[in-house]
Amino acid sequence: MSKLFKKTLIMIVILFMIIAFTIAISTGWNLYNDLLQEYKSKGTAIAKSIASSSIETLLNRDASTIQAMIDRFLEISGVSYIFVVDANGEIISHTFVPTIPEEISKIKNDKPKDTYVKEIVFENMGIFIDITSPILEGIAGYVHVGMDKSNIIAQIKSAMLRQLLLISLIFIFSIIIAYMLVNKVSQPLNALTDYAKKLTLHDFSSPVDIKSDDEIGLLANTMKSMATDLHEVFDRYEQAINDAIVELQNTLAYLTAVIDNMADGLLVTDTDGVITHVNPALSHMFNMRESDFIGRDCRSIFGDKFAEIVEKSITNSEEIFTTEIELAHKRIGKAVATGIHKDTIQSDEKGIGAVILIRDITSEKEVDRMKTDFISTVSHELRTPLTAVKGFTEIIKKRLEDDIFPNVTTDNKRVLKSILRIRDNINIILSEGERLTALINDVLDISKLEAGRIDWKLENVRPADAIEQAIIATSALFEQKKLPLIKDIDENLPEIICDKDRIIQVIINLLSNAVKFTDSGSVTCRAQKLEDSILVSISDTGTGISETEKDHVFEKFRQAGDTLTDKPTGTGLGLSICRQIIEHYGGTIWVESELGKGSTFYFTLPLKNINDVSDISKITYNNIEKEYK
Amino acid sequence: MKKILIVDDDPIIRNLLEQILEPFAEKDIEILIAENGLVALDIIKEKQPELIFLDVMMPKMNGFEVCQKIKNNPTDKIPYIIMLTAKGQETDKEKAKASGADCYITKPFNINDLLNKVSEILQVNLN
Repeated sequence: MSKLFKKTLIMIVILFMIIAFTIAISTGWNLYNDLLQEYKSKGTAIAKSIASSSIETLLNRDASTIQAMIDRFLEISGVSYIFVVDANGEIISHTFVPTIPEEISKIKNDKPKDTYVKEIVFENMGIFIDITSPILEGIAGYVHVGMDKSNIIAQIKSAMLRQLLLISLIFIFSIIIAYMLVNKVSQPLNALTDYAKKLTLHDFSSPVDIKSDDEIGLLANTMKSMATDLHEVFDRYEQAINDAIVELQNTLAYLTAVIDNMADGLLVTDTDGVITHVNPALSHMFNMRESDFIGRDCRSIFGDKFAEIVEKSITNSEEIFTTEIELAHKRIGKAVATGIHKDTIQSDEKGIGAVILIRDITSEKEVDRMKTDFISTVSHELRTPLTAVKGFTEIIKKRLEDDIFPNVTTDNKRVLKSILRIRDNINIILSEGERLTALINDVLDISKLEAGRIDWKLENVRPADAIEQAIIATSALFEQKKLPLIKDIDENLPEIICDKDRIIQVIINLLSNAVKFTDSGSVTCRAQKLEDSILVSISDTGTGISETEKDHVFEKFRQAGDTLTDKPTGTGLGLSICRQIIEHYGGTIWVESELGKGSTFYFTLPLKNINDVSDISKITYNNIEKEYK
Repeated sequence: MKKILIVDDDPIIRNLLEQILEPFAEKDIEILIAENGLVALDIIKEKQPELIFLDVMMPKMNGFEVCQKIKNNPTDKIPYIIMLTAKGQETDKEKAKASGADCYITKPFNINDLLNKVSEILQVNLN
């Protein structure tokens, strides 16, 4: 049975019951009134008839005649009892069997002037309609006729029952017809529903057999064409999805191939530092299987330092963190960790993990170590013979001057000339020895600077002190050339944080250069505070530097003047070292010069190291790298 | 009699130092020679010199170790130690200080400076 029908059926049944009962009650009521009226009039007619025909017999007190008469009336339907009383209320005759009910005594003395109707209840017998009619206006007595009211009710009941039965039959018959009709409508609807269900399961090929011209047929046709359209659309999307899947698989295969063939080890962790991916190179580096890594905390495999950079990179997307890590077979790796962040995720959130690249730097470390060893070996191997050459030359000079030359007592000009020559030559050996020493020191300095092997001390330095110490160290040079040094130093220069010895080295270099290229005039040393740095300048009144040479003076082994004609008097490394030192502190060094009039060398040292605290707290990539080395 | 000990594996440098220190030898100061750290330790134990010239780069036992051994010896008289090194490494200066050396001189050195230093330490006037 269709649901639609079930729903309507309940409604119809309720409605039917209301209607059926209303009709039955109304019919019953009408019938009751009609019957009551009929009984009353019937009773009245009987009572009047008895009254009129019994006057004489009553006056004659012929009770048996009356009895016969009323017995005759008792046969009429609805009549229950009849009794006749005389004017004194004495019952003359009656139809009660076997005895007169007690309730009769209440009404037997009623003396109405005209016919009177009232209801009376007899115990054990029911309700009766009592009609009293006076005989000869009450002089001869009264006739009472009792009509049985329960008779009326029984009639009404049976009438109502019949009516309900009839209506119910009609109703059931109608329902059956309605059911058949509804079924006829809902069957194609059910078929359509099944069809729609199949469509939702993407079964577009199943047939639907509805060929009516009504609305349902129209709906079926619409659904059929819709199914065809849907089929096409789904086919198209399925194709598109398949294409996308193939493309995705290709891209994935490409990426996997790239990652798997990387020479560097690659490791990916989630935000909790749990390893989610490793490539074959990494497994190989640690001599472990891929399954040994996946799902484990990176701290448990690689230790605290590694876990620390992973954590830092996850919380800090801007920077890269590095550390060294021990690989299998006593090799050394360098791990570089970067946080993985989706563009859509806000920057203050944690990312989705970290990617760590590990490169085997064993050979680089070896090369680094060899470089350091080389520097110190070269240093040792050059200095030791130089010490002997210089030392013995000095001793020879001393012995000659103290013991030999004073004891040469000859006038031979050739001998005297030789003595002068020997003295000159020995001095040349000594000064060249000095130059060689300076050169070795400078070469070592520059190679250490370039290899990043300098341990930069960090101390509070008063610039005026550094300048003063440099001036003291070079005072001999000034005395030799009898050049005055003019000082113009701001006494209130702020302290800077740097390596004092290195700054002194720079100033000494610049001062000795100034003296070297100045024969007359003066050298001026100035120092002043700029907005966020300290500016130091050293001016001379010497030969000056040409425009073309100016660009090259800070290069290695470059010196002012023509190296072919002018005898070089330095190592050619001093200014290069100065630039390396100044630039290490974030300062700049430059020269302004005019040929023949002199040169001024300037350098600045930024103050940010002490003033800008926030800059210090900001950890740069370089610092981090150093930190983990 | 005051004594100076020269410890260096290089015979030329030993010879040079010996010649440089000749003016002290003339003032009755004994110049002792050791070609390595072990010999040096024996000589120190026996002769107890006031001043030691100690080379850093030596086979068997380097200068830092020798220096540490000397300075950690509580019984003997503690001598003044001048470290001589050809290595210009910054870290060497720190190491020398850490091992207890009193003075650190980089090769090549200035003879007059060296003589002045020795005079000062031994309190001997050469003039």
